[in-house]
Amino acid sequence: MSGGETFANQPVLDLRLATERARLTAALAALDARLPLRVPVLIDGQVRHGDELRSLDPGDQTRTVATSARAGRDEVDRAVAVAEVAGRAWAERPMAERAAVLRRAAELLVEERAGLAALAVRECAKPWAQADADVCEAIDFLRYYGERSAALGGPLPQPPGEQNSLRYRARGVCAVIAPWNFPLAIPCGMTAAALVTGNPVVLKPAEQSPACAARLVELLHRAGVPAGALALLPGEGEAGAALVDHPRVATIAFTGSAGVGLEILRRAAEIVPGQRQLKRVVAEMGGKNCVVVAADADLDDVVPAILDSAFAFAGQKCSAASRVLVEADVAERLERRLAGALSTLVVGPAERFATDVPAVIERAAQERIERFQQLVRDDGGELVLGPGPEPDVAIADGCWVRPALALGLPPGAALLHEEVFGPLVSVERVADLDAALARVDALPFALTAGVFSRNPRTVRRIVDALPAGNVYVNRGITGAMVARQPFGGNRLSGTGTKAGGPDYLLSFVDPQAVTENTVRHGLVV
Amino acid sequence: MSAHATTAPEELIHRIGHELADALPHHRLGGGIDRQAIDRIAADPQLKAALFRFVDVAPAARSQREAAAHLEALLAEADRLPGPFAAVDGLARRPITAPLVGRGATWAVRRMARQFILAEDAAGATRSLAKLWDEGAATALDLLGEASVSDAEADTYAARCLDALEQLDRAYRGLPGRPRLDADGTGPLPRAHLSVKLSALTPQRHPFAPERVSEDAKRRLRPIARRARELGAHLHLDSESLDSREAVLSTALELLAEPEFADGPSAGVVLQAYLRDADEVLDRLLVTAGRRKPPLLVRLVKGAYWDHEVIDARQHGWTPAVHPDQAATDRAYEALTRRLLDARPAVRVAIASHNLRSVAHAIAHDRHGGGDGRDLELQVLLGLGEDLRTALARRGLRVRVYCPVGDLVAGMAYLVRRLLENTASDSFLDRQAHGASVDDLVRAP
Ligand SMILES: Cc1cc2nc3c(=O)[nH]c(=O)nc-3n(C[C@H](O)[C@H](O)[C@H](O)COP(=O)(O)OP(=O)(O)OC[C@H]3O[C@@H](n4cnc5c(N)ncnc54)[C@H](O)[C@@H]3O)c2cc1C
Repeated sequence: MSGGETFANQPVLDLRLATERARLTAALAALDARLPLRVPVLIDGQVRHGDELRSLDPGDQTRTVATSARAGRDEVDRAVAVAEVAGRAWAERPMAERAAVLRRAAELLVEERAGLAALAVRECAKPWAQADADVCEAIDFLRYYGERSAALGGPLPQPPGEQNSLRYRARGVCAVIAPWNFPLAIPCGMTAAALVTGNPVVLKPAEQSPACAARLVELLHRAGVPAGALALLPGEGEAGAALVDHPRVATIAFTGSAGVGLEILRRAAEIVPGQRQLKRVVAEMGGKNCVVVAADADLDDVVPAILDSAFAFAGQKCSAASRVLVEADVAERLERRLAGALSTLVVGPAERFATDVPAVIERAAQERIERFQQLVRDDGGELVLGPGPEPDVAIADGCWVRPALALGLPPGAALLHEEVFGPLVSVERVADLDAALARVDALPFALTAGVFSRNPRTVRRIVDALPAGNVYVNRGITGAMVARQPFGGNRLSGTGTKAGGPDYLLSFVDPQAVTENTVRHGLVV
Repeated sequence: MSAHATTAPEELIHRIGHELADALPHHRLGGGIDRQAIDRIAADPQLKAALFRFVDVAPAARSQREAAAHLEALLAEADRLPGPFAAVDGLARRPITAPLVGRGATWAVRRMARQFILAEDAAGATRSLAKLWDEGAATALDLLGEASVSDAEADTYAARCLDALEQLDRAYRGLPGRPRLDADGTGPLPRAHLSVKLSALTPQRHPFAPERVSEDAKRRLRPIARRARELGAHLHLDSESLDSREAVLSTALELLAEPEFADGPSAGVVLQAYLRDADEVLDRLLVTAGRRKPPLLVRLVKGAYWDHEVIDARQHGWTPAVHPDQAATDRAYEALTRRLLDARPAVRVAIASHNLRSVAHAIAHDRHGGGDGRDLELQVLLGLGEDLRTALARRGLRVRVYCPVGDLVAGMAYLVRRLLENTASDSFLDRQAHGASVDDLVRAP
């Protein structure tokens, strides 16, 4: 079996159907009745409960979604030690067996999809459609990596008397450091890739979304991942740092901000006492994602695509659009239409099916984004503010930010260079497409990018010039799907690995070439 | 007319099909457009794609040179160019001839568009409306526009609708009486007939929260409905893709249920036969249909977004909500035709199709039940059903021509849909144009 041939993405729910919406709403009610959840430190099947940390509903900070223990340094040590031992047995299991475990986990996620989506709605304020897509992507990763694992390695030349093979072997303990914005899909993807290739995993979820991760870990264990081969260490930056520095950690799979990612790369490069192996870092970091709009673009398509790419889930995706560069001839029209469209956005609780822009993840994020809004004004730009939350929302209780456009910023403005991770997008007028490309090229980030033009030649020219890891033509720039859009950035946006792509698993294995002499006394045996 | 469960005999449908075919101008089958050119295009998918993409962008081009550059780049994508297009391609590359090619191609697109678009605005349409009336055809006016992405754009559209109602009223006021067009068995029929689109009436796009969309749409529709009632005009809400189906339905049904509109205006909705659950939609329509004074006018169509729905479903991994093949849609269309006709007088029925069989079947079912065509309306699209329109009028049937009005840039999406329809290989128009016999064309699907 070779991957990608039988794989099919888990279909998202068709939420146009009232029956599906009712099912999700019921799942959320059932979840709410159980809150707050308790998330333990989980090592070798042993739980330690605690309530050092709390994860709150971003839309209503008076609601505690989960209380969780905070993993300490000794627990990091123990988790790694246990994993190292358990990992050996796990690595010895045939690849197909491990893939089967992941497939079983996928089935468990499918069964529980409504409940999992509800959890993402509550814990991360992911609007339903996005929460459901997050569950589907998690399922996709489990199945896709399972299939891809069978395709690792290829034939080598075999002259007479010499047998050559290239094998891929588990590297050892993998620390997975996951973000909150895809609270199921991303931890699941990184964990699944490590597990299927035979590595034990110590998972450190984001402190904002421990409950999502905890449920994921439970389901993986139930599907057959050995207790020792997968540990859950809820905590903050400290636990993550301890993992990164740990001498027995072989691989670090990280998705998050550029700041933390670069720090991990730096620290991982330092050999510490007791370390016998170079640490490998798989890092997916930030972006400053640009959309280039040519004068011949169909603005009827451009406006909704930018709106969705910039403001869905309040812009809290690493793929979100943050800079629009538009040719001068249509700039005025695009700005006017975007500003008009901005005011039609629905800002409200994630559990409402009409919501476009939910609350942002936490107070600190709210303050950071508002600082960027102020910076737009300070830098001489025009800030066009969209609507505030729906009238019946208790504003003070949630981390609400009004979606906004920034117009007329000078090239040096901070907003044009720094990642905001919020519902704020700038529009820059450029004399022509070359000017647009020069600005994009000047950025150190290269995660996603978009092009709008109806001339195939223009499209090709722009695509060729864009450094981004994922380029989208005449559509929105978010929503990469497993296998269909292998995802990951170039330059300072990432290590060039493609999640959900055919080569991703290679980052989690060490190659070993074996050459056997099969000639004995002049005879090939 | 009484409800009757039996279906019209095939023999009757065939006879009516032949009557209509005989009444076609010059016994000519086929629409008004250049069939040879269409055939050449339809035979070459790559060329078809290139030209469609050109049609889509041409009106937006800022200069003839830019239009030529587009044409050249698009044709370059179709790697085997048939003779005449290869020549155009060469000319489009040269700096001196490029603007000429650009102008020629843009002109060709405009000429084509003029067959499907009545005029640039409602005022400019006055004379054409009178001419159609004179030829025995009523009209439904449709205001083309870009999709509304902001409240301001939707407000502009609503204002254009109000203006169109005035223009229609004025255009039709002095025209002579035409009994077939002016009344049916339940009473007088408005002459002024305006079709509106939800995607233009509201910038809200919430396929998962239809109530949100319809609240906003109803807000803009109310003044239009009031004015339509005052002027005695008919107001119709078109159907679009499945994303807005629920919002369209609830907008229409909820608005019409408001006490203010209990006695008017005359209003209607569209039923798309290609949807596998169209029967349930009709159930819903029939529950409310009889409650108002002017009966609900239901326009039965096959559905214009088949490709979109199939692609959208495939990309999401869903089973498409539309029938999988043309014959299934055609059969569903006939079954729905019968249900609708049998539901009169609670509803008024408009059969909107260019398919001789579908139309003949509806007329036959009406006649079979004792009708004389008075309580059946046939509708065609401007530019696509010209010959059929003439034949229907000659047979003394009530025919209404759906007339888009608007500027070319805004009309492109509409135009491309019509061209797609015209070049779809199993469409009725295509079979008709390729000389299928009348017997073949009216055979049961
Ligand atoms: C007056 C008027 C008003 C209209 N208003 C609307 C409207 O509001 N909303 C709307 O959606 N459409 C509307 N239409 C368009 C209509 O839905 C059809 O697209 C068009 O009329 C072609 O259908 P036909 O019966 O004339 O031709 P035919 O050739 O008999 O049928 C073509 C139709 O069959 C269906 N079809 C094509 N291929 C397949 C396939 N492989 N499997 C299943 N079904 C298939 C499609 O619906 C296609 O449009 C209107 C048409 C008219 C005449």
